[in-house]
Amino acid sequence: MMEQKKKKAINRLQTMYPLRANIDKMYERGVEASKTGKPTAWCMVNWWEADPILKAMDVEVVYPENYGAVCAAFGTAPAYLDRSDADGFPTHMCGYARNCIGYTSRMTELGQIPPEAPMGGMAKPFLLLCSGALCDARYKWFQALGRYLDAPVWTVEIPHIGVAESQDPATRAQVIKFMVKELGEFVKFMERMLNKKMDWDKLAEVTDDLIKVNRLWHEINELRKARPCPMHSRDFWSCMNASLYPAGDPKESLKLYQDMYTEVKDRVDKKIGAVANEKYRMLFAELPPWHDLKIFDELADRGWNFVVESWAYHPAKPIDTTKVSNPLERIAAETYHWLTGYFDEAYKAKEYMGYFAYPYLEWARTYQCDGGLLHPLLTCRTATNHLMLIQDRLLNKLKVPTLVAEGDIVDLKLFNHAETMRKAETLEEMMDHYKQKRRDEGLEW
Amino acid sequence: MVVNRKGIERIKEIYQDRASRAQELKAGGKQVMGYLCIYPVLEMLTALDIVPFRILGQMSEPITKADACLPTIVCPFIRSTLDLGLKGKYDFMDGVVMAHVCDVGEKTSHIWRTYLNPPYYYFLDVPHTTHLAAQEQMKEQIKTLRQTLEDFTGKKITAAKLKQAIDLHNQQRALVRELYDLRKPDPPLISGAETLQTMVALMSIPVAEGNDLLKQVISEVKQRKNKLSKKPRLLIWGSIIDNVALVEMIESAGANVVMDDICVGSRAFFPAVAQTDDPLDGLAYRYLVELKCPRTFREATYGETKKDYIQDLESRFGYIKEYIRDWNVNGVILQAVRYCDIHGYEVPAVRDYLDHIGTPHIYLEHDYSEAALAPLRTRVQAFLELLG
Amino acid sequence: MTKVVIIDAAECIRARVIGPTGAEHRRLANRVMEEALNRANLHFEEIAYVVATGYGRINVPFADRQITELTCHARGVYQLFPTVSIAIDIGGQDAKGLKIKKGKLVDFVMNDRCAAGTGRFLEVLANTLGLKLDDLGGISLQATSKIKISSICTVFAQQEVMAYLAKGTPLPDIVAGLHDAIASRVVKMITRLKIEPDVVFTGGVAKNIGVVQALKQNLGLEVFVPAEPLLTGAVGAALLGKELVLKARERGEVIAAKERRLEEVTFFR
Repeated sequence: MMEQKKKKAINRLQTMYPLRANIDKMYERGVEASKTGKPTAWCMVNWWEADPILKAMDVEVVYPENYGAVCAAFGTAPAYLDRSDADGFPTHMCGYARNCIGYTSRMTELGQIPPEAPMGGMAKPFLLLCSGALCDARYKWFQALGRYLDAPVWTVEIPHIGVAESQDPATRAQVIKFMVKELGEFVKFMERMLNKKMDWDKLAEVTDDLIKVNRLWHEINELRKARPCPMHSRDFWSCMNASLYPAGDPKESLKLYQDMYTEVKDRVDKKIGAVANEKYRMLFAELPPWHDLKIFDELADRGWNFVVESWAYHPAKPIDTTKVSNPLERIAAETYHWLTGYFDEAYKAKEYMGYFAYPYLEWARTYQCDGGLLHPLLTCRTATNHLMLIQDRLLNKLKVPTLVAEGDIVDLKLFNHAETMRKAETLEEMMDHYKQKRRDEGLEW
Repeated sequence: MVVNRKGIERIKEIYQDRASRAQELKAGGKQVMGYLCIYPVLEMLTALDIVPFRILGQMSEPITKADACLPTIVCPFIRSTLDLGLKGKYDFMDGVVMAHVCDVGEKTSHIWRTYLNPPYYYFLDVPHTTHLAAQEQMKEQIKTLRQTLEDFTGKKITAAKLKQAIDLHNQQRALVRELYDLRKPDPPLISGAETLQTMVALMSIPVAEGNDLLKQVISEVKQRKNKLSKKPRLLIWGSIIDNVALVEMIESAGANVVMDDICVGSRAFFPAVAQTDDPLDGLAYRYLVELKCPRTFREATYGETKKDYIQDLESRFGYIKEYIRDWNVNGVILQAVRYCDIHGYEVPAVRDYLDHIGTPHIYLEHDYSEAALAPLRTRVQAFLELLG
Repeated sequence: MTKVVIIDAAECIRARVIGPTGAEHRRLANRVMEEALNRANLHFEEIAYVVATGYGRINVPFADRQITELTCHARGVYQLFPTVSIAIDIGGQDAKGLKIKKGKLVDFVMNDRCAAGTGRFLEVLANTLGLKLDDLGGISLQATSKIKISSICTVFAQQEVMAYLAKGTPLPDIVAGLHDAIASRVVKMITRLKIEPDVVFTGGVAKNIGVVQALKQNLGLEVFVPAEPLLTGAVGAALLGKELVLKARERGEVIAAKERRLEEVTFFR
């Protein structure tokens, strides 16, 4: 089974393939469902706050953010972006959003899914579900779709408390109370939309399944702290959507992640690395250059193993919520913990961007990173705002140097492969230098 | 320094060197606190006799220090504020109240604390929606703000002091409306540029002082001899304008800017705080629901299950129609600073609404620099020719 | 380039002059005016009204009024093509789309912040190819196919063109690809105006037959080009000036009797 014509520099996990196939079926299911009259919602990544509710109510969900990446990969994005421009949306805004706006504009004009739409397209939604998590502009995006669609828009709340402000225990209780109230309102709204009652037992079950999926996925990623690191970021990105979106049936995902855990654990035990000669342990922030993932193979040839990445797409550090009987409260507690899970440590370190920035600092230590590759995105401020802060803190606090390579999420030409490879050589020199420096300063790796 | 200038003269003096008065008060023993955008609850500062000082940018000053910690693809206004902070221009402040305004504002608040760590700091997490639970959440946030301020100053915000502060701010809001009424005649009695300077000045001095100054300005403007001439009457909509360059350019192209929908203007001052049994209810409602920055998600009807686009536009922008009617507006200039996502998404919707009500409009994007304004002049002039 | 058009009450053009190019000449509008007056055999005092337009409009001290090139173009194009609905003007530094209804400008879009989609784009790339700007149109007609320029940015397009050159792609195919790139960029920009016939194309780039063809293809519509595509703005300015004078006379007003002196600009803003 392991025979390969040409040995690739990155040793991909075999268990990744069935997981990825299961994720890819998402659009197919959405279109099929809409043909049978089943309602399809367009939804943004909501970090498991709305997903269990939608799944429990048997709503099919597609994710326009993910579809933006799909359109970029299939080459249909430029036409949709042009259409968004022509409709008067400024060009500096999120590529995924403009792709979606252009797509929707065209779909509305045609009265059907555009024939060129990749992977069967996104079916006309009966609901646009926004999340307030991380990127505020996202709910403006769905609101703007009101020009083309008569679907109502709902925004799920999630507070973004400051690091110091989160330290008061009363704050957490109060925030969760607020989230539970809002989720309760959302359930009532869904009941009215669908004209049916919530099956609370089912919600409890789906919630529990999703938490298990995330925990297992977290544990797989914990195994990557091993030397050599058994799993490369490429495998993380290939499989994250079963957790993040979450695409697919959670029970099926759980089984697939279980197989993956076994494979990764086996590699740890046998000291098999994802890269043959792991010379540099790397971290990556935030979204990768989807169209140029082969650059990681070239870097792997140089001994670069990407051991941790993309804070926003990682599940929460596990907490025990099994004693919480109200599924809405359990959902709120888990999502709040995902957002603030690193805050206590961040507070102690006097780092006040406890999400997005601080986790990388912690990971650089716990995953023992030699360097980082930061990928600012021209049209995504949310994934870019914090990168210079990270660069500064990693270097000056932890003596971990990083390389910045600019790109975009849909304008694929912006990423300069050749230049990045040239910069990589320079970074290697810096990584060697700072490795010594870390030792001199008594840092542990 | 002896303050001897009055009215508009004094406004211009403050506008030119906006920190001067706050620094003077600070030297005299008062506390000064900075705040980001229009969401921090100023009544809490005023109730403690703290001078609220709005953190603004400086269009004419090149960004140098912020380049090291905030990328170039984010709002240049926010970058400018952080740059001034890093350069020590805001060092006279005893602390800052930052807020979850837009995405970049939120992240910059954290960066501000990380690098500048002022003696007092509070991050007010403004909810995303105006739902009832969100209003309660806003109220909780305001309670915590009050608590941390009391802890920091060692003073108590009594019910009486809070009421007094609310009254003072409401008085200012009423006076600003009175000033804006002077823009209703044709020609208006006060120019758009002078109005903007007044708004900037009000955001740089204690509220009571601002009220006295406003009274002087109002009576001065009413008695003016040198009247403006009749020109097309414009409303200016959009992201922050904290420098007169853009408005001066528009007015010198042959227009009177008679109304605005921006946050150094009507957006910040028009909504008043309603009298409620618990004053925090009135404050939460005013700051979350009535401030009309597009950063907040609003639906036409709470829990609507079917969307009607025009109804949605009407509920979101109906107030602009009232402005257009009451200020007799001929055309609207929509403007946004480059990389302002929340205004960017709003632009097509506002244009749709203006088309719906039949008011001509033009959209300008600029990058928060005086140099970049020149090319926009032709557009503005062509728009005015198209109106005429 | 400074252009002067003088018209009489019957809207007959009495003189048309296109002055030399370059920023150093921009402030010498008076010299071009003098030449136009010579050709028309007129004295400056005989001119009833002067309208200045274009980027340099504020540098014409002897003008009675400044009107933007958008309004002037719209008026000039309408005079030549009364059925015009959309006018596209591509000059050296900017590109404009005008929506015209019954001779009146009702909406417009403009690109002046980026070289892509303007004459500057062609200028830079003609340089890269070692060709003369004026020859591009003719060369492109010999193309058997055209390359696809994927980047809208002039700098990146330059890199792409160099790659094609290295590959040995025939020059005409490259030039045709450049024309297509500029045309499709401009068409995208003006889509918001809701394009309807008739479409008129003016400005320096309208002299390039290759771009005219590419515009036709991209629009799927006939594209009309005036005989002197550089002069529509000046013609429009003259016509608007005439109308202002007539309107004033109808109302019995004396129009703008300020003292004019034919001199070069002495101040800069």
